[in-house]
Amino acid sequence: MATTREARGRRRARRLVANAGWYTILTFLAAITVFPFLWMMLTSIKGAADPLTSVPPQFIPAHPTLDNYERVLTLLPVPTYFQNSIVVAILSTGLNVLVSAMAAYPLAKMRFRGREAIFYLLLATLIVPAQLTYIPSFILAVNTFHYYDTLAAVILPSIASAFNIFLMRQAYRGIPNDLIDAARVDGAGEWRVWWQILLPVVRPSLAAVAIFTFVTSWNDFLWPSLMLHNPQGLTLPVGLVALQGQFVSDFRATAAGVTMTVIPILLFFVVVQRWFVRGLTGAVKG
Amino acid sequence: MTTRRFRLIPYVFLLPAVALIGVFVVYPILAVVYYSLTDYDIVRPPVWVGLDNFARVFADKTFWLALTHSIVYLLVTPILIVLSIGLAIVVNRKLRGIQIYRALYFVPAVSGSIAIGLSWRWLFDRNGFINGVLQSWGVIHDPIQWLSTPALVLPIAMLLTIWAGVGFYSVIFLAGLQNIPEELYDAARIDGCTDLQKHWHVSLPGLRPQIAFVAVISSLAALKVFDEIYILTGKTGGILDSGVTMVFYLWKQAFVLQHAGYAAAIAIILLAITLVFSIVNVRLLDRGDGDQ
Repeated sequence: MATTREARGRRRARRLVANAGWYTILTFLAAITVFPFLWMMLTSIKGAADPLTSVPPQFIPAHPTLDNYERVLTLLPVPTYFQNSIVVAILSTGLNVLVSAMAAYPLAKMRFRGREAIFYLLLATLIVPAQLTYIPSFILAVNTFHYYDTLAAVILPSIASAFNIFLMRQAYRGIPNDLIDAARVDGAGEWRVWWQILLPVVRPSLAAVAIFTFVTSWNDFLWPSLMLHNPQGLTLPVGLVALQGQFVSDFRATAAGVTMTVIPILLFFVVVQRWFVRGLTGAVKG
Repeated sequence: MTTRRFRLIPYVFLLPAVALIGVFVVYPILAVVYYSLTDYDIVRPPVWVGLDNFARVFADKTFWLALTHSIVYLLVTPILIVLSIGLAIVVNRKLRGIQIYRALYFVPAVSGSIAIGLSWRWLFDRNGFINGVLQSWGVIHDPIQWLSTPALVLPIAMLLTIWAGVGFYSVIFLAGLQNIPEELYDAARIDGCTDLQKHWHVSLPGLRPQIAFVAVISSLAALKVFDEIYILTGKTGGILDSGVTMVFYLWKQAFVLQHAGYAAAIAIILLAITLVFSIVNVRLLDRGDGDQ
């Protein structure tokens, strides 16, 4: 009796030590991951009397202040950038999900002439780096669509994505045909089958595609930086670069700007994290 | 399954996506092919010059430098795979609060390359944190000009890409690990495998589809790297073009110097490299499937 209790105690002790070891590793890795952001945030609240450069570096500011944020906000319309980014991300995401979910239905569940050809054409566009298309897209924006320097120029090219069509196609393929055929026998048209039967079933995939597209759109930089120029019409990443140009030697202000742009997307991620991870893992399995 | 007569409905469903991809992907590729054969500055109409641009690109030292940098950049792929699998193994255990750690590792993946780039630039600044720590430890006496040292620009950018990617890719490997049946690990234990051997003999083969997927995704991303270079070098590409990659050079030629025809030729070469790369990757993927 005593020996088994001793053995159990020894095992528990060993597990505690092992766990402590794992927590040390986990915490160390988390520190490496988060540190650049943490340092930015600490820098952003440093007062004028706090040294930016010192040996050793100063971690906790002795004179914390929000002046740096005020300085950024008086010079650049960060709330407007935020609003622009929201508009771009929501419209891009909403339309992208709709268009992808539509296109994937016939590719997954209908038989028709040209299906393979269309499928492989879409597949091929996946490999093409988007940056290759920027020269003609730029000329299209200026000469044909006349939406240069508007948010539409950022939204429209991002609506269709072959990758999302594939993810949705995979999701539909997991649905048994009987379900669809039964609905068709009951006289439901294809639109109703799609809207009332398929979409509710693939909701997890829709969520994953939506979150993925939202984050990508929110962080997109190169194309928006080519399209957007008037100081009121920038998205956050483009505005952030503009800010850095204005406050070249003012690290406190740049840090405040970075902090202001990172916080919202981090909060968004905390809220949707569960679906994001599930969607990401589901995507590879398919 | 369905009737044989012609039906319009599948095409209606496909129309918006195909139209958009046609306008914003297929047409631009064809246009880039045409521009690459012209002298074009975006303002005046293109003038046909045949293969002139390609001849000039192949004689351009900066192009070869950019190509070399992009190929060197591909080194991030194997490193990312190894580190991400390692992280996935570390977080694949039932510990209180493990979800919080997993979420923390994911932070760089959602923060955006511009914000990340700026925060790293600040760390590696002459007056930044890294120099401060190294000086206070007595490792160095004078601050190092990290981002103004040609040999260091590319490695720092690659380090940034790796740091930002590990959390993201490890989620994919974690899902793969959780799909591997527990019995395989038990069998390995009975055969006398140590923990490390267990992962070598069971985890790695079990993760093959994920490894293939991450290899494709991360190497295509590495070939396209731009934002990190743009921010870390302050839009210049670095001293002596030390950080210039293919896409950075493409951007500079097209949108800074307005040599659109020349840039289009670079774009075509990049497309060719990407194609070759994808074919190799698909081959590897196929082999992975065949074994299962």
